[in-house]
Amino acid sequence: MIRQDGLMNGARLVVRVALWANRLFLAGVVLGLGWSLVSPGQFAAVAGAEIAGMRWELLLGLVMGAATDCLLTALAAIIAVAAAGDPFIAANAGRLQRIGWCLLVLQLCELPGLLIARGYPGLGAAAPVPDVSITGWIAVLMVFVLARVFAVGAAMRDDLDGTI
Amino acid sequence: MAIIVRLDDMLARRGVSLTQLSESVDITLANLSILKTGKARAIRFSTLAAICGFLDCQPGDILGFDPQGEEP
Repeated sequence: MIRQDGLMNGARLVVRVALWANRLFLAGVVLGLGWSLVSPGQFAAVAGAEIAGMRWELLLGLVMGAATDCLLTALAAIIAVAAAGDPFIAANAGRLQRIGWCLLVLQLCELPGLLIARGYPGLGAAAPVPDVSITGWIAVLMVFVLARVFAVGAAMRDDLDGTI
Repeated sequence: MAIIVRLDDMLARRGVSLTQLSESVDITLANLSILKTGKARAIRFSTLAAICGFLDCQPGDILGFDPQGEEP
């Protein structure tokens, strides 16, 4: 039990730090995108790369950051409920499903990342580095399956609640 | 349609209190109250067997079926 509490506390801390780091990243992306629209010349000079490619990259970062925020928020809620000792509820099944959709969006973002890297070679080191791997897709599938398992488990527990 | 619980009638017929039944069959008074008031959603065979064994009756003496009734 003590070990489990340690795990939950550790997970809660990691997710909280990741959540705020991602929000900082998102704020940076929004500022960068705004800057590239308001003052494109100055932005291009500082970024030292193709402005159109940078804009697409920032837009992609915005989508990925939003999906990550959605994912981490759901994960934080699951951890909070699990730490309270009652994780097998229908709401957690819904949250897991949300995590699955966010992971799917993040996986799909690899494709435009690849297109940006190929389409704008002038981006150089600033170009996105797509990581197309089978493990990511398996993780998406696994989370959707787990969400279904949670939903069935929560329904079964509801049934047991009224059993004498 | 609904299942009617007639535990009260059976307890009265046997002259046994709910507390006595609770102590004898090792089921909490709270759970027996839920069963007695018809708020339970299901009953385990082991619970039914323990109650029937103590009250010397059949499951049909405790449970009934009302096609017009509502589910709990």
